[in-house]
Amino acid sequence: MKRRQLLTALAGAGAWSAASGQRRVLSSPLQDCGCGFQVATARDVPPGETAFRDVISNLRVTNIQTVGVTLDPRIAQADRPYVFVKVETNQGVVGWGEATLEGKAASAMACVADLKDLIVGCDPMQVEHLYQLMYIGSFYRGGPVLGSAISGIDQALWDIRGKVMNMPVYEMLGGPVDPRGVRGYYHADVWTLAQTRELRDKTKAAGVTALKFQLPDLLEWVETNAKIKRAVAHLEMLREGLGPDLDFAVDFHARPSPTVAAILLREVEPLQMLFAEEICPPENVRAMARAVRHSTTPIATGERLIASYGCSELIDMDVIDILQPDINHVGGITALWKVSAAAEASGIRMAPHACEGPIGGIASLHVDAAGPNFLAQEICGSVDAGEKNRVWEDLMGFPAMRMVDGRYPLPTRPGLGVDVNEAALKRYPFQGTKPFVMAFQEDGAVGSI
Amino acid sequence: MKPKRRKLTTFGTAFAPPAAEDHPLRIVDFHAWRLKEPDSGRRYSVVRLRAQGGATGYGEGGPSLAAEIAAARTAVMNRRATESEYVRASLAGLPALEAAVSNAMLDLASRAKEMPIYRYLGGPVRYKARLLAHLEGKTAAEARPSLERAKRQGFQLFTTAAPVRDAMIPLRAYVDQVRQHLTDMQALAGAGAEWVLDGHGAMTPGDAATLAVALEPLHPVWFDEPTGVITQDALAKIVDESVMPIGLGRAITGLDAFQGLLANGSVNVVRPDLGRNSLTKIKRVAAIAETHYVAIAPFHDGGPIGALAGIHLNAALLNAYAQQIPVPSSDRDAAMRAEITSGLRESGTKGFFALVNRPGLGFEVNEKALDAYSEERI
Repeated sequence: MKRRQLLTALAGAGAWSAASGQRRVLSSPLQDCGCGFQVATARDVPPGETAFRDVISNLRVTNIQTVGVTLDPRIAQADRPYVFVKVETNQGVVGWGEATLEGKAASAMACVADLKDLIVGCDPMQVEHLYQLMYIGSFYRGGPVLGSAISGIDQALWDIRGKVMNMPVYEMLGGPVDPRGVRGYYHADVWTLAQTRELRDKTKAAGVTALKFQLPDLLEWVETNAKIKRAVAHLEMLREGLGPDLDFAVDFHARPSPTVAAILLREVEPLQMLFAEEICPPENVRAMARAVRHSTTPIATGERLIASYGCSELIDMDVIDILQPDINHVGGITALWKVSAAAEASGIRMAPHACEGPIGGIASLHVDAAGPNFLAQEICGSVDAGEKNRVWEDLMGFPAMRMVDGRYPLPTRPGLGVDVNEAALKRYPFQGTKPFVMAFQEDGAVGSI
Repeated sequence: MKPKRRKLTTFGTAFAPPAAEDHPLRIVDFHAWRLKEPDSGRRYSVVRLRAQGGATGYGEGGPSLAAEIAAARTAVMNRRATESEYVRASLAGLPALEAAVSNAMLDLASRAKEMPIYRYLGGPVRYKARLLAHLEGKTAAEARPSLERAKRQGFQLFTTAAPVRDAMIPLRAYVDQVRQHLTDMQALAGAGAEWVLDGHGAMTPGDAATLAVALEPLHPVWFDEPTGVITQDALAKIVDESVMPIGLGRAITGLDAFQGLLANGSVNVVRPDLGRNSLTKIKRVAAIAETHYVAIAPFHDGGPIGALAGIHLNAALLNAYAQQIPVPSSDRDAAMRAEITSGLRESGTKGFFALVNRPGLGFEVNEKALDAYSEERI
């Protein structure tokens, strides 16, 4: 038998399922990898058309497109042009989501396009099934590109669901826990005690109850007395300037190693911060666990984690006090809610990360509002509304993600509760991917920023 | 007394015999020197390899016996200078020679390819390497000459040896004594100096834990080799009590032992000894440490060829923090070191050594100096 004939025969033999005795539908008589046999059935049977015919609605996804939005780099960080996802249906209902991925906008857009074939033709009301279709069906689970693409589509599907059901997403999730809205915090950046006191007065006048800062330096694997003292002195200045009744968090931004983080956490414990965020890089949970064992300062992390699986080790090992998944990366509303549920069971609070565009921020508010373990919602904005906020108002038609009396008001309209101004989107055309901002140590080595 | 020959570890089935055909990198000549510094008495070995194509390479390891050198020569003759994995396996029982031979092969191969060792190892991740001065002397007064030399040579990071506890001294008094010593050294070196406290493996884990907690406010960059009891339980006494970074590893040559320390969270700075671990082997240790976000700072109490080879490794590893270099008190020792490297100084500017963009080690080894300071040429 010639080689080609042998391969054909083997492929035919494999077309019979040992378990069911039924013949599988193969997309090709020749397979060069065993994976092909396993996925053939799923690929060839779109769920909206056959298997779920009797149990789904008449709504169908007809198209998915991405819209890139680039803001002037003077008002928004250049590495994160917004990637908005628009999902259209056969009944004219449209949903919006956000798949912004810092430094990899084009990759996220391409991945959304890759997932389009899985989703078009499906019933958008099957949001859990479609989430699994995108996550499990991608075979290579997780990763920020896939996570962001899923996030954008998932948010849009929830938006459609809400609009069809005529209720805000947080109501579909069982909320709101607090109808007054969702507590938030702004970012701040001060270097002197006088600046800190001025910031305190401004923050209190605005009704805002919490702020977040960063460490003053890049840090290395071990650190000098001089740099540790400078970091500690900076945080002590913040507490002194802000006074005892303003909460403040510090984003370590994974700059320290666990070794250095442990020292800093020990030193700043008396400051009673709201939390210390990303105290070390996120890959090694056991290493992080060792860094936090000498401190009672609440530890927060999670913005780089994908899907509930990505957070499970942190939760199960009781390493952290606060989880901060990003709704634009973790897997959208579906995944953020799952993480929140697992966190609640372990006494962990939620403070979702949000440092991209307005759609993801607003989507986050819906999950926040439905979580009894919610703590605070981030947004990359400051107490003083800036030019970026004016652009967001242009895009969304209202002052999106601005707090009133320390809370983000909850949307009242169906779905995510926003109407994206598509004409406004065209005023900020996509200018291409820009790399994530880099930082280098004194000796030129790549630093963690 | 006739030196006892150590048994070589052999991996006959894992490595094929030397390739029979001629090759420019086939090792055809092996020479070694056993060196001793005139005043400190510091000892180390230097190996020179010559390849069929004419390229030579030098590598340094810790002190070795003549019989061990002869065994190493037998093992590596006719091998290619790229076969560092063969050397790592076949000379595992002779760690000083594993380091010397493997590093000499690396120098040879890099010179043959006309590139610095750091580029051969994967390319520079930094353009300058932080230096750590290993000072001589047990007290502040004794350490002063070494410290002054190190400062003149541009060092800003120093090790100082913790006083050894006399059994009659209460623990509290001992803690005060060490704290005072560190404070004295800080005062002696002045502003801008940073310190590593060297415990020399001489403390009990309990004493080391007490000291680590007590010295936290002084922020030494790390507490090196606090105890010689390198078991998980013993080290847990220290790391469970304190946030003081702990450096360990100068006595370790097995990758599995380093992995154990890292997996158990017992170490914050891994410190393989350049005299007993080759650069390629330490690179493996660094790769393991990186996944634990742990720094690597190779220990070194040997000669200048080893120290400057360590700079190349530092340049190629993201998690390398500093390269330790012994700084002699004695002018004669310092002169010997400078002669060996043909004048390339083990010095820097503002704490860093600027990388040299020349093939191999980046300097010509002065064989006349090796001969002059050699106890024995083999």
